[in-house]
Amino acid sequence: MAVKIVTDTLSDITSDLAEELGITVVPLYVRFGETIYKDRVEITSEEFYRKLVSEANLPSTTQPTPNDFLQVYEALAKETDEILVIVVSGKLSGTYQSATQAKELMKGKCRIEVVDSLSVAMGMGLIVVSVVNAVKGGENLDEAADLARGAIARSHLVAYFDTLKYLAKGGRIGKASGLLGSLLSVKPILTIRDGEMAPLTRVRSLSAGLDYIYNYVAGFSNIEGMAVEHATTPDDADQLVERLGKIYPKERIYRSVISPVVGTYSGPNALAITILEGKKK
Amino acid sequence: MSQIKSVAGQDLRDMFSAATSWLEKSSADIDALNVFPVPDGDTGTNMMLTMRSTMEEAYRAPDHSAAGIAHAMARGALMGARGNSGVILSQIWRGLAQGLEEKETFTAADLAAAFQQSAQIAYKGVSNPVEGTMLTVMKDAAKAAQSEVDADNEDIIAVLEATVNAAAESVANTPMLLKVLKDAGVVDAGGQGVYTILEGALRFLRGETELMRLRKPQIIVSELPHSASMPQSAVVDEVPYGYCTEFLLKGEELEPEVIKKRLLKKGESLIVVGDDTAVRIHIHTLTPGNILQLAAKLGTMHQVSIRNMDEQHQDFLEMQKERMPTTDTAVIAVAAGDGLADVFGSLGAAAVVPGGQTMNPSTKDILQVVESTLSDKVIILPNNKNIIAAANQVQSLTQKKIAVVPTKTIPQGVVALLSFDYEAEFNTNAEIMEKALPSVKTIEITRSVRATKINGLKIKRKQPIGLLDGELIAVGDTNLDVLNQLLSRLDLEKAEVVTLYFGEDAEAEETEQINDGIMEKYPHLQVELIRGGQPHYSYIISIE
Repeated sequence: MAVKIVTDTLSDITSDLAEELGITVVPLYVRFGETIYKDRVEITSEEFYRKLVSEANLPSTTQPTPNDFLQVYEALAKETDEILVIVVSGKLSGTYQSATQAKELMKGKCRIEVVDSLSVAMGMGLIVVSVVNAVKGGENLDEAADLARGAIARSHLVAYFDTLKYLAKGGRIGKASGLLGSLLSVKPILTIRDGEMAPLTRVRSLSAGLDYIYNYVAGFSNIEGMAVEHATTPDDADQLVERLGKIYPKERIYRSVISPVVGTYSGPNALAITILEGKKK
Repeated sequence: MSQIKSVAGQDLRDMFSAATSWLEKSSADIDALNVFPVPDGDTGTNMMLTMRSTMEEAYRAPDHSAAGIAHAMARGALMGARGNSGVILSQIWRGLAQGLEEKETFTAADLAAAFQQSAQIAYKGVSNPVEGTMLTVMKDAAKAAQSEVDADNEDIIAVLEATVNAAAESVANTPMLLKVLKDAGVVDAGGQGVYTILEGALRFLRGETELMRLRKPQIIVSELPHSASMPQSAVVDEVPYGYCTEFLLKGEELEPEVIKKRLLKKGESLIVVGDDTAVRIHIHTLTPGNILQLAAKLGTMHQVSIRNMDEQHQDFLEMQKERMPTTDTAVIAVAAGDGLADVFGSLGAAAVVPGGQTMNPSTKDILQVVESTLSDKVIILPNNKNIIAAANQVQSLTQKKIAVVPTKTIPQGVVALLSFDYEAEFNTNAEIMEKALPSVKTIEITRSVRATKINGLKIKRKQPIGLLDGELIAVGDTNLDVLNQLLSRLDLEKAEVVTLYFGEDAEAEETEQINDGIMEKYPHLQVELIRGGQPHYSYIISIE
């Protein structure tokens, strides 16, 4: 029986792509005041960003419950005896704990391996895609988990933020805190290192940010996969895809939207680009 | 959500017991917030140990009423208080105990009143209360509790929520009130501790024990601009710290107020708290022996601790090194004017060397600042063509690795600093920064110091003149006139951001005019107005 793959909505894997890949995506939760929504299921990204800028209070987010994972595991256990779970960085969310607790609740009914992707958004999404493609070759659970762990170091996320306000207020600023407090208006360019947000540099305008990202991507010679995501500015992302087409076939670039839970920390106008480097030969 | 209208003694104990575990998870992070030169190196640990002692006593209390538990807590805190923060914390519990006097259970109104009492007593215990510390946080938190109660809210959870939110805001605001925090870019550690304890208590009442087990408290981040630590104040000056001296004095008919008066002149950061049988004393002094002699005449001394703060300071510097961002490279900039120094500081410059157009710093001035930074690799931004040579000399005088990015103007310096790549190596970074320089144009407007002829321009003394990238190419009757001449020479269609740094002698009205003029003429530009405070140059304008 083939290994089944489970991830969470912070992978920014769209429902279409999830279906195509044959994987299960467990939603986190985002809460505005008293109302709780399942990420991407009960609230669309469009609705979310509208509320994010219009509501007085910032939303908060919550990991899936162990029971959420348990139900997924039990359903999958009917079709397979091996499940690989790839989740968002444990430094950004407690999702890993929920997935692991649910594994214990399964009491060995099915072999389950939970892997911390040490990443987020398509930085994690492309790791999942890469593993799914490999597993078609009939790898077992241990091999698949090794593939996932091996892909972590090859995944490079670079993000343009319009503001650090949301990241700081949400307590996920990590090593990027050094960028706070600028007297000039600057746009941070961030990445994820060892599972937490870290600074790359700062620019003063969107176009300078896009230039930086283009040059960053151009620095890779061996690209296995690429993804471009936006929060509220699809046109900017589309233009970037056009431009990146000079480096990598643009029809192979995954387009996605930064999910509400991630958007809680990125805020509007953010753009995220992920490169999955090819394996060294 | 369910409401809680009254809380019994055991719940009081359990909620602060949970808060202690919550604080414990955060104590290392709180330690890391400590700011030199406030040399109590371990606020988080001190508060955590104080809370442990507080709660141990609470569990021993024979009387399980709210009043009984609160009294035991106050006693445990006093006996086990550690450090400045621990002593103030013990005052908070003493206030709580006074506020809950004779209560079997307590209501939201009782709690708010008790918090008020806590804040008052905490202020009283300190000889020289400073705002922007845990005192302020407790005061703000208590105030919020009271106004929630005044708004007829009887739900203890809601009142505590208001208290915790106010505490969080107050913590975020501490750098605004206390310059050392602002310079270091951190919030007050003691304040963060108070917030974490209150938050822990709230989470317990909300029934979030499972979550408390999995998560850990967040350190509040302040979004305030932080300025560069000017080398003179931070590292070059060696302030004598002496010894952090603390002990518990037991005796009969002790008079804390009298003891406080007698110790007042003997040192700094004095705290004397307690009652007639036990008094806790904390002082930073150069002569701990004298303090102990004095105390020995009054009673018996317990838990005596004398620590050399210079050593603590060294440890602190080591710790700071570990806390540096992902990079081991420091950037220092030369700038005149407090506004410009703040701009460089806020963008991550490790230090600013005072100087500029008319006051060129010497190689020695720059060297001194280079040596004062914690990094072994330093990039220098001279920001003036007459300073580049002096900066280039520094390498021959230091073991540190030096790179000079030849910035000739302030805007070039800013662009270079902004383009700093946090993941690049030292040499690569110097290259990246230098490559960024052509992306900015600099306009400087000043007044001629003498009559002259230059570049075909006839210039009278004190007449406004304008420089474009360091070259004198415009003269006129007003600053505005000169600026317009210069702007007409630039292709502003391709520009995106204009930053206008106005100097110490710039007139507000004229500055507005210039700002509005640019925005009107070039609506696609993002214009930012920043107080540079630079001497002699009315305006320095960056066009990117």
